[in-house]
Amino acid sequence: MIELLLAVVFVGAAVTFLAPNRIAGKLAFAISLLPAGISLWMLTAFDGSGNALLSGGQLAFESQAEWFQVGEYAVSWFVGLDGISLPLVVLTTILTSLAILSSWTPIDERQSQFYGLVLFIEANLLGVFVALDFLLWFVFWEAVLIPMYFLIGVWGGPRRKYAAIKFFVYTNVASLVLFGAFVTLVFALGGDGGVSSFALPEITQAMHAGGIPDGTSLFGLGATELSAAIFVALFLGFAVKVPIVPFHTWLPDAHVEAPTPASVLLAGVLLKMGTYALLRFNFTMFPEQVETFAIPIAAIAVISVIYGAMLALAQTDLKRIVAYSSVSSMGYVILGLVAFTQFGIGGATFQMVSHGLISGLMFMAVGVVYNATHTRMVTDMSGITAKMPVASWIFVAGAFGYMGLPLMSGFYAEFSIFYGAFGSELLSYAPLFTGVAMFGIVIVAGYLLFAMQRTFFGPFALETDYELDRAPLHDVAPMLVLLALIVVLGVAPDTIFGMITDATDPIVAAYGGEAA
Amino acid sequence: MMAIEGYVLLSAGLFCIGLFGILTRRNALMFLMAVELMVNAAVINLVAFALYHGTLTGQVFGLFVLGLAAAEVAIGLGIILVLYRNFGTIDVSVPTTMRW
Amino acid sequence: MEGLFTFAPAIVLFPLVAFAITLLVGRYLPLGGAIPGIVATGGSLALSLVMAAAVAGGETTNELVYTWFETPEITFHFGLLIDPLSAAMLVVVSLIAFLVHVFSLSYMNAEGETGLPRYYAGLGLFTFSMLAFVVADNLLMSFVFFELVGLCSFLLIGFWYRTKSAPSAAKKAFLVTRFGDFFFLIGVVAIAASYGTLSFAGDASFVTAAESAIDSETFFGFDADTWVTITGLLVLGGVIGKSAQFPLHTWLPDAMEGPTPVSALIHAATMVAAGVYLVARMFGYYALSPTALAVIAFVGGFTALFAATMGCVKDDVKQVLAYSTISQYGYMMLAMGVGGYVAGVFHLLNHAVFKALLFLGAGAVIIAMHHEQDMWKMGGLKEQMPVTYYSFLAGSLALAGIIPFSGFWSKDEVLYDALIVGLSEPLILAAYAMALLAVFFTGFYTIRMVRLTFHGEPRSEAAESPHAIGLPAKIPLAVLGVLALVGGAMNLKPLEELAGLEVAFLERWLDGQGVGSVDGLTYHAYSETVHYGHEYIGGPEGTVILSAALSLGLALAGAGLAWTLYSGPEPTRHTERLGSLRDLAVANYYQDEYQVWLARGLTLPLARASDRFDQTAIDGVVDGVGSVSRFGGERLRRLQTGQVTDYAALVILGVLALLVVLGINGGWFL
Repeated sequence: MIELLLAVVFVGAAVTFLAPNRIAGKLAFAISLLPAGISLWMLTAFDGSGNALLSGGQLAFESQAEWFQVGEYAVSWFVGLDGISLPLVVLTTILTSLAILSSWTPIDERQSQFYGLVLFIEANLLGVFVALDFLLWFVFWEAVLIPMYFLIGVWGGPRRKYAAIKFFVYTNVASLVLFGAFVTLVFALGGDGGVSSFALPEITQAMHAGGIPDGTSLFGLGATELSAAIFVALFLGFAVKVPIVPFHTWLPDAHVEAPTPASVLLAGVLLKMGTYALLRFNFTMFPEQVETFAIPIAAIAVISVIYGAMLALAQTDLKRIVAYSSVSSMGYVILGLVAFTQFGIGGATFQMVSHGLISGLMFMAVGVVYNATHTRMVTDMSGITAKMPVASWIFVAGAFGYMGLPLMSGFYAEFSIFYGAFGSELLSYAPLFTGVAMFGIVIVAGYLLFAMQRTFFGPFALETDYELDRAPLHDVAPMLVLLALIVVLGVAPDTIFGMITDATDPIVAAYGGEAA
Repeated sequence: MMAIEGYVLLSAGLFCIGLFGILTRRNALMFLMAVELMVNAAVINLVAFALYHGTLTGQVFGLFVLGLAAAEVAIGLGIILVLYRNFGTIDVSVPTTMRW
Repeated sequence: MEGLFTFAPAIVLFPLVAFAITLLVGRYLPLGGAIPGIVATGGSLALSLVMAAAVAGGETTNELVYTWFETPEITFHFGLLIDPLSAAMLVVVSLIAFLVHVFSLSYMNAEGETGLPRYYAGLGLFTFSMLAFVVADNLLMSFVFFELVGLCSFLLIGFWYRTKSAPSAAKKAFLVTRFGDFFFLIGVVAIAASYGTLSFAGDASFVTAAESAIDSETFFGFDADTWVTITGLLVLGGVIGKSAQFPLHTWLPDAMEGPTPVSALIHAATMVAAGVYLVARMFGYYALSPTALAVIAFVGGFTALFAATMGCVKDDVKQVLAYSTISQYGYMMLAMGVGGYVAGVFHLLNHAVFKALLFLGAGAVIIAMHHEQDMWKMGGLKEQMPVTYYSFLAGSLALAGIIPFSGFWSKDEVLYDALIVGLSEPLILAAYAMALLAVFFTGFYTIRMVRLTFHGEPRSEAAESPHAIGLPAKIPLAVLGVLALVGGAMNLKPLEELAGLEVAFLERWLDGQGVGSVDGLTYHAYSETVHYGHEYIGGPEGTVILSAALSLGLALAGAGLAWTLYSGPEPTRHTERLGSLRDLAVANYYQDEYQVWLARGLTLPLARASDRFDQTAIDGVVDGVGSVSRFGGERLRRLQTGQVTDYAALVILGVLALLVVLGINGGWFL
């Protein structure tokens, strides 16, 4: 089933690439509905349980086939879904469809290439979430960068080259670090009776069964130091993608230059690759090291929250505001993960989905405003609501979602994280860290309210001389769909939260934490 | 039988002459000749050590090198011709367009 | 859920449905979409009365309605807790919501406002959230709807979003209350994490858990009783924000930018009451912590006086009412803080009625005055709008605490409760003294407002020919005016104390005597927990008389002073004689200034500095790595000259270097 899902998107990308520009947008949208449909069907037909990487986990839609052999290590085509990856797969397919719809207005050249690349990103993103073999996963992980590089570099704003190269090189260097670290881990675990493949479940279970054998020595490091070094290297590798302060500076540049749909995918799904990988690798495979490094990780999580929010407060470009607030929101995810409790990790995963929807909505709304006004500067606009009521009120609704308004998905995510983090046993001073991180909810309200007051309310004024029209339906519809999803998840989080905690609880339980 | 040192010294001398040629000459033909000298220095080494060890491998190798050297000269002269056609000179310091 | 309570969720859901209808199809409905709201709030009112009757009949309910998420550890859910307290509050909230909807027909529709569907949708959403907050059976649900009423307040304050001031006031209101809610949320999380439950009532409530934990357990390194204080104070942060207590009161006067019916509903009668209601709802928890109670009492007493002094110098009729609102909530906090649960709730209910009345009355005046709000431009409206005048007067006398209007009875009970505790607790006595002094100021500004607005000669053209107000405005005024007159009859405590008559109805109601009650949520259960002792001057009866005489005397003194000072057709601006004191009060004691400074003068520059740091230091390193690589590459490529000779020389040098290295390693040179 997963093969079908991936094949549809890859073939769809190729077809779109070859299609004439005139119909490329509609064609891509039609094609993107297929994976959305398949993934929604998967949601209903999901029969997995437990965590994909840990013993006792039942994968849904699993399939495995030998691929090739590296020395004694087997590399295989190994895909499957559990409660962590399935929501992200659904998020990806839905968000891609909506992003395509929202690019009908702004993309007016080389449409076939544009939409082809968008579908190509989708395919690789899906690959990242379904792959369970390290090398296979890494291929998808890297392949995501290429289409995104072109989306920013070709259809981007004035500084698109700078932003695209920065994005590409930065994240690629990080990939190098994580690749080196992970291969080292595999070789350290290999040998007689040890790990004999790159399959993630096997590696994870080897880590839980005793980790790197005592007496191992690689690069002059013993087993304990080696585990710690690999943990740190992996963490740094993923930290760039998340991004965690101080590795975040590529993000605002990339967002500001990227065209709207690329921003939607970038904030909505690409960042989740980082947190997803952190959860799968660092937090599932290295519980002991999580405990060792809990305080520094929590500290940078809190710094990300507060510092990211402070940066957002200083911006006057709507897109930069939303971009920096993503840094802040990702800080919550890290805090939830490091808490290592049921609600902490579950809430963090829920936040990935929730933030994907909310930030996607925000970027779309900024895009719609930009399409009409040709400016994103808060200082250039005033009272836009008078001319574009629907888009403006949707922005306002999204902004309140971002602030964690109850009955929208962000609140449940953040509340779970806070609740999970507050009572964390693994993290010392947990209440203190949580309390400080929670101040983020005040700052986020501050900058979003400030931006809204300046941009959308007050007497109408616009620095650029564009005629403001009401946004067309294909601009508004995707935002309404996202808003509806945000509210549904906020009112009934259990639609996916149960599935998520089913997959995240074993992580906590495997390390002697309280199981649910 | 002469001591092996003699052959090795001869070889080293020839090699150094060739090397000197490469480092000082700018004429492509002289270059080619210098290279030939260095190749032949190597061949002498091969043959001498073959004799010394009493095996034939080195001598066979020497024969191979001679054949190769002939081919190399053909190609080298061809390159020099092309050089002359393109740059109007066979001075090797003139064509620098092949860098980066 | 049994019997009548099966219909209880409908009380909450009616306004939600009205909200949805108005939002989606409001623009096609007559009267700007007012009808669904009126019908829904009317329905809620009727059902609330039914619920109150059910409670009176001895029933209560505490039911789970919807589960968010549950684990064996904790359950996050929405539930319905209808006991005497919430039943009473339901009636008041739905009554005022209904009357405000009706009044809006005059204030909004008749004035030709645009965007009415948005207005009525906002009112509907607000009523839904507020009612849900009232029936909440756990702290998380309270927080959820606490935030939602904040959102509605934002939307409705900013209703006239085309102006500059309204969006700014809306932002301020949300932000300041958000600051309080930050503490509230920490409190919710802390309580959930330490007791594993958030329910208000029943054996599995956090109050019970805290009670049994005291003296035996520690949480996060604190003794249980310290922890109760800490968490209680954290939750109190939200209360102070929403109920506009010092120092988070600054948003409320600005919130008067919203339409006046909104001020009546949200910023006087109901939403602002949410804070105090929350204290009442979880009073059992606060009762466990003497420190938390003392803080509540002191903040309340201080706010009562502090806000009252500002009310004396305002010229805008809505501003006077705004400060009086802050001041009155101070009384309720004081009551709660001294263990006067009944007195606090009594004043809460009374205040909701008479303050809604005053705001609606002010709204009627504002319509008549063609949207002029400066009292100095009014005057002489008494003859021309008698219904408004007499109802407004009733509300004013209730506010001032003049016998026999409702405010007298409740305020007197608050002060009495504070006095008997204060006689043995110096801190409480100080709070009592401040609240008592505030009575004088209350009387003064109330009568000053009445005098300037309705008496004397008209001082502007608008006042000479006021705009007629419609029937939809008069009916709510009349209803509320009657209630403001007789509301005190709910709890005639002094008569019970002095004459032995059984007339303290509200006390018995909240205590569950003869009516339904939920275990642990009754007045006597709270009284047993609260540690305060009571002392009297001249026995209980003597203290009752003394307390009543003091408060009534001061109120009359203040009222009388204002009555004489502002008499005559052209009253003079007496407060200006106060000089710098007046300036200080007019400037709100520079409370706004320092809070704006905190936001603009401190946080914003800090944010900008962070941004500069980010752009130069952090991004500088990133870009620096790029520049260094590029620069290095630029230099390194010069090695490639294109000269065959150079390459050959490099090869030779390389071989030589290799030889040297191998030689050193191999020991050739030794």
